[in-house]
Amino acid sequence: MRRFLIVLATIVLTGALGFSAAAAPAVAPTRGGVLIVGSGTDATTLDGHLYTDAPTATIMDHITETLFELTPEGKVQPRLALSYSVAADGRTWTIRLRPGVRFHDGTPFDAEAAKFNLDRVLNPATRANWRFLIDRVTQVSVVDSSTIRLITNAPFAPLLAHLTHTGLAMQSPTAIQRLGADYARSPVGTGAFRFKEWVRGDRIALTRNDDYWGDKAFVDEVQFRVVPDDGARLAALEAGSLHVAVRVPPREIERLKGSRDVTVQLNESLRTIYAAFNVSRPPFNDKRLRQALNYSINKRAIVSSALAGTARVSDAPIAPNVEGYSKVMTYDWDNDRAEALLREAGFSRQRPLRAIFHHPSGRYIRDAEIAASIQGLARRVGIELELRTLEFGAYIALTSRPIEQNDIQMYMLGWGTVTGDADYGLYALFHSSQWPPVGFNRGFYKNPQVDALLDRGRTTVDQAERDKIYAEAMKIIMDDAAWLFLHSESQVTGFRKNVQGLIVHPSERVIATKAWLQR
Amino acid sequence: MWAYIVKRLLLTLPVIFGVAFVVFAMVRVIPGDPAQIIAGETATKDFVEAVRKDLGLDRPLLQQFASFMGNLLRGDFGRSIRSRAPVTIELAARIPNTLTLTFAGLLVAVVVGVGAGIVSAVRPYSFVDTAVMIVALAGLSMPVFWSGLMLILIFAVRLGWLPAVGTGSLAHLVLPAVTLGMATAAIIARMTRSSMLEVLRSDYIRTARAKGVGEPTVVNRHAFRNALIPVITVVGLQMGTLLSGAVLTESVFAWPGVGRLLVEGILTRDYPIVQAAVLVVALAFVVVNLVVDVLYAVVDPRIHYS
Repeated sequence: MRRFLIVLATIVLTGALGFSAAAAPAVAPTRGGVLIVGSGTDATTLDGHLYTDAPTATIMDHITETLFELTPEGKVQPRLALSYSVAADGRTWTIRLRPGVRFHDGTPFDAEAAKFNLDRVLNPATRANWRFLIDRVTQVSVVDSSTIRLITNAPFAPLLAHLTHTGLAMQSPTAIQRLGADYARSPVGTGAFRFKEWVRGDRIALTRNDDYWGDKAFVDEVQFRVVPDDGARLAALEAGSLHVAVRVPPREIERLKGSRDVTVQLNESLRTIYAAFNVSRPPFNDKRLRQALNYSINKRAIVSSALAGTARVSDAPIAPNVEGYSKVMTYDWDNDRAEALLREAGFSRQRPLRAIFHHPSGRYIRDAEIAASIQGLARRVGIELELRTLEFGAYIALTSRPIEQNDIQMYMLGWGTVTGDADYGLYALFHSSQWPPVGFNRGFYKNPQVDALLDRGRTTVDQAERDKIYAEAMKIIMDDAAWLFLHSESQVTGFRKNVQGLIVHPSERVIATKAWLQR
Repeated sequence: MWAYIVKRLLLTLPVIFGVAFVVFAMVRVIPGDPAQIIAGETATKDFVEAVRKDLGLDRPLLQQFASFMGNLLRGDFGRSIRSRAPVTIELAARIPNTLTLTFAGLLVAVVVGVGAGIVSAVRPYSFVDTAVMIVALAGLSMPVFWSGLMLILIFAVRLGWLPAVGTGSLAHLVLPAVTLGMATAAIIARMTRSSMLEVLRSDYIRTARAKGVGEPTVVNRHAFRNALIPVITVVGLQMGTLLSGAVLTESVFAWPGVGRLLVEGILTRDYPIVQAAVLVVALAFVVVNLVVDVLYAVVDPRIHYS
């Protein structure tokens, strides 16, 4: 059902704007050619266990593969794994591996290789950023040459979803051992493309892996070119220097409708944008004020004007393609209610609520403009917000201070639930054990009921049951108005019209393994 | 002369040391925790602490500075915090691109700027002079992120003559070089014009004309060479600026130069990258200044160094 809804939402989104998405090909795919994708930033490292950023994940996803994969529709399915079983205690996971798979350097992908990779991530000395995804795994053992067994210290339901993460991909043990630190410049995986070259700051080129175990790619080569400037990236697409451009500025969509060569596609993302309240100190320790602010903001207007329709008003704290999502509620724009709540809390136009609102600038799509809209809308009900912005590095430091030092009142941030599972989108942000500096509950939200539900969601293996648990937790969180709920972003991607079969994944990755160039 | 050059080169050592110290201190006073930024905004506390320890950022500042200078003396810039690759590899990949773009841009600037300046100066206050100076003013006032995009729109999108962005061939160099050269050309044109005007009013020019020397010879041989000194100064200064990285031009044209590396380094608090890039830029400045000073003596025999 949820999958249907997502597809429907995409159709409505694209349909409303008068675009056709790169639909299923009507003619047979052609082989050959070089597909050039323009992205905003260069990769940081090509060691799949060490990277931290989405642009690098995009590249690694072509070279390496994970045991399980998250489909664009938000489903977890085996990839390098064949099947799995979980013991009744919910702690012992047996995973059968796909036989006959080899890394690009000829090393066989077997149970030993899988164990090597998981152990490498788990080893604290590796400094693997995504270690926390599987840090409940206490032991990885080889059962036979194509079976491994994982034991967790407690039942841990999101394990399979976490194993879909690119940061836990399988890389060649021989290459890692032979190259040491230099491995990060010549990665070896099992994927549909092999690494060719990395010209720093300019491009990364990958060639088709003709020995790939699955359906082979169509294009001979895929290049990821770094074009930092959004306007220049779009111009390069229009000039034909690129086949694909990520992050097209929303304001350009209207103009591109008339283009002969270029189409624009909207895809949902796993990223939710919100403004969190610091509920540990005045004024936002008062639930009425948090609700008042939620009612005073016309989110629909923000989405349709500032974002040119390229977002979706949040009806839950997580985005729709996340496993465990269900529609909870929206605070529909209602100034009368906002003012009534303000009066009840002792504020009025004569004695307005004053607060400082921190926001980033240039980190999320039109973040500064959105903050200004919020300021303007809040003023109409007599809430005076003072805007403050900082460079993002300093901003994160400011919002991550522990509770005693954290005097921030309200701040805008985004969260990408990159595992595609509600646990990562809710536990880290709303569980009271996750206050900074431990986790990302940066508003110091604490509700024993929510804590209990989120704990249960972790340990309940039955997905239908989990969905219910998360729905209940999200209902409490939204009623508490822990955040000013805003929207989930859409990805706006520009294509040359001859590009077919490209996948824009909700985790903000462009995947070319099934793409081809129409002659 | 040679003694002078050697003396100047030796003087660069304290300059470099000073720059190293200032950069080292500066990157550490920028707000924002580098370990947190490097680990990513979603990293756990343990991971952030592990990164901090890895990078030696938990050690006292003086100790960090001592090991930084020690490594520097051995020619070791360390590894980039973010990519974990040696800084020398990162820099070596960018320096040739920056040099190519700088010299190409400078070529455009000097040819256009000096040419326009002379044309203006020969017919001062005429229609041609006014027109050239208005164009120069426009060139100076246009921000490169706008003029660069306009050039891409015209020559890559509309006409399709040149590639829009990236590197790879001589054709890729044209648009960024012109964009970069335009602003500099405007400065050079204005400087050439005023310097030429001053020289053209001097007594020896009147004498040359009085003894019947043809106007082209007067302008090219007698006036131009004497008007060159301030122009060389300006070109030298501009070259220093270009070498330090034409960040905006590099961003618009996706040109992987030192400037972009530096800016990305600052945004990600990649200390080793920032330190090394600034040192390289400072060194370039020092060398260019020296070359300019030596050129003075070549152009004007009255200038002696000892």
